[in-house]
Amino acid sequence: MNLAVIPLLIVALLLVSGNPEVEIAQLMMTGVHQVEDHDGALIVGEAEVNIPTGAEVPGPIYVIGGEMTVAGVVTGDVIQLAGTLTVKSGATIGDELQHVAGTLVVSDGAEIGRRTSLDVTAIVGDDAAGSFIPGVVLTLFLAGVGYMLTNKRSGALDNVASAVTGHPVAMFTVGLLLAMTFISIFVFMALTLVLLPVAVVGVLAGLMTLGYGVIAWGHLIGARLPIRHQRLATVIGVIVATTGIQIAGRIAILGDVIVAAVLLTGIGAVVVTYFGVTQFRPAPLPD
Amino acid sequence: MSRSEVPGGVRWIGYLFYVAVLAAGYYYNLTFVQLGIIDLGTRLVGLSSSRVSAVMAGFAVAALVAAVMAGRVIDRRGWSRDLRVKLRILFFVVAVQTLLTVTAPLVGSATQLTVWVLFCSVTLGVGMPVTFSLMVDLIPVRHRGAGAAVVAGLAFAAAAVYPLEWRLEEFAPVMTVLMAPAVLILGVVAYRRFRFVDMLATQHERFGIGRFAPVRTASSAFWLPVALMFSVFFIDSLGFLRIIDTPVYIHASWQSPEVGVRGFIAVSHVLGAAMAGVLYTVFGRRWLFVWILGLFAFTHLLYTFHLATALSGVDPPLLLPFFYVLAVSFYTTLNFALWPDLSTPRNIGLHAGLGVGIAGWLASFLSTSLALYSKGAGISLLEHLRYVNALALLLAVAFPLFLYFRRMRTLAGLGRAP
Repeated sequence: MNLAVIPLLIVALLLVSGNPEVEIAQLMMTGVHQVEDHDGALIVGEAEVNIPTGAEVPGPIYVIGGEMTVAGVVTGDVIQLAGTLTVKSGATIGDELQHVAGTLVVSDGAEIGRRTSLDVTAIVGDDAAGSFIPGVVLTLFLAGVGYMLTNKRSGALDNVASAVTGHPVAMFTVGLLLAMTFISIFVFMALTLVLLPVAVVGVLAGLMTLGYGVIAWGHLIGARLPIRHQRLATVIGVIVATTGIQIAGRIAILGDVIVAAVLLTGIGAVVVTYFGVTQFRPAPLPD
Repeated sequence: MSRSEVPGGVRWIGYLFYVAVLAAGYYYNLTFVQLGIIDLGTRLVGLSSSRVSAVMAGFAVAALVAAVMAGRVIDRRGWSRDLRVKLRILFFVVAVQTLLTVTAPLVGSATQLTVWVLFCSVTLGVGMPVTFSLMVDLIPVRHRGAGAAVVAGLAFAAAAVYPLEWRLEEFAPVMTVLMAPAVLILGVVAYRRFRFVDMLATQHERFGIGRFAPVRTASSAFWLPVALMFSVFFIDSLGFLRIIDTPVYIHASWQSPEVGVRGFIAVSHVLGAAMAGVLYTVFGRRWLFVWILGLFAFTHLLYTFHLATALSGVDPPLLLPFFYVLAVSFYTTLNFALWPDLSTPRNIGLHAGLGVGIAGWLASFLSTSLALYSKGAGISLLEHLRYVNALALLLAVAFPLFLYFRRMRTLAGLGRAP
């Protein structure tokens, strides 16, 4: 499963839960599906979903990934957050077609009730500089937090960093296990709708842990730089760490593996040291 | 002979021998014994589910009695500290098992099945304490998590990939081909004098005492892990037997015609075992138990959710078997390392016999019998899994609470101290 779908799934579920007319929702995560008859909301994950000619479904439909093709009739809304949406000639979307992101292809012969667009790329900027803005903002934010933590809780960052360097395999294992389990639990909670707020809080807590881990990596890198001022060293270290992660993330497969290893090791170290409150000591073993 | 006199190459031979024996033995257990006997009873002999469940329950009890008796005997006679004697017992066990494997397809009546199962359970029962006790001779305490992980990962990965059909006719030839050379090698190693065997036989003096030992057999430090392991094995088999009996689940996972899906299951087993090996080494057994119980609770929650919602109309995602596989690899790894680590070379036979016999065999086959009975009684998969889920959730909540209150009691005791 593509992890990038998870935040969009939570957004889609938030939209579903805010719609009083929707009683049930179905998620199509993988596979190829022909939808000719359907009740309630439909969320298209990484699946390939077709509404064939002659079919009529009520909607709303949320496209958060995969490929959605409409050749028949959708009487309600269609909201595209990602993925590819194709509305063929002769197809009808009775209410609103809202495009936020992703690839949208609407044939001339298609009948759309109302069409709105919130073009995210227009806000961020479509040029090369614009695509770097979120990364720069994130880097500066983490560097700022790193500066404050070094100022007030330098020992905590030392504890996390020493867990990373002293027991990388154990920290990676803990991070991997926590990530796999809790991502699934939060998605599962979100699907219940009742626990959606808990899932949102959980995802935020997870992101916070991830950020703390990156700062600890930055602290570790900073300590190895020839900079005497500890806070400045951490700030530079965080910038190096986040930049390195972003560059590595652009390399296919190997880069992803490196990024995952770094982030998961950081998460593991943050959790086992209780956010740096204590040093990590493994169980004693005889020689 | 001191530690420095055992060369690194010989120690590696010990590691490889342990992994080969335990992985092959567990593969045999996973495929031929657990799935093959059910197939033999229901399809080939034509018995009802309830009759086969009774046979399986008898199998479990006989295996347990044999394991405990064999464990006690090898401890009392000092064989648990004699690698060469253990190899000779193992040779006889594998030789008889090979014979039983070859004759299994010839079993054609209920009486023959009962006799066959009795022989099978007794040889397995004798083999349990012997094979599990090899760890105290061959694997140092520091490497037991890794050793257990390699065994669990290899056995499960192999079982996930081959054989493709869970039928006795598929299992029996594969096992015979594997076991025949094993009997030969074991015979040569056990009865001819080799210097490397003499060297390996001295290693228990150096690292034979487990990391949680010494632990008295009649103590909660021993029986609490037995009870927890019993619960885990029980939950696993109780749910698994009904899940694999449901085409929509089994054909999308363990019995998928797609090689990629089977490969995914195999890799997940290896991943789960590796993670468990690391966690066992670094954190110890309690945290691993907490994770195992939590994983089982979550897994059964996923299955019941999938069954109970509109999602049941859609192919089940691989996430369901993935978490199941993770939980199973975790507890199997723990099972291989735990009993030797709760023992010394003087009581490993009895501890392994009790631990593996009660927690492993008795729990597995009692729950297998219960699962077969539930199927025979017409209880739906959803209703059955609700019971399993309730049990898993109860344990997942109760065990951390138990640990918390025990810690609180310890701290309160410390507070009263002068």
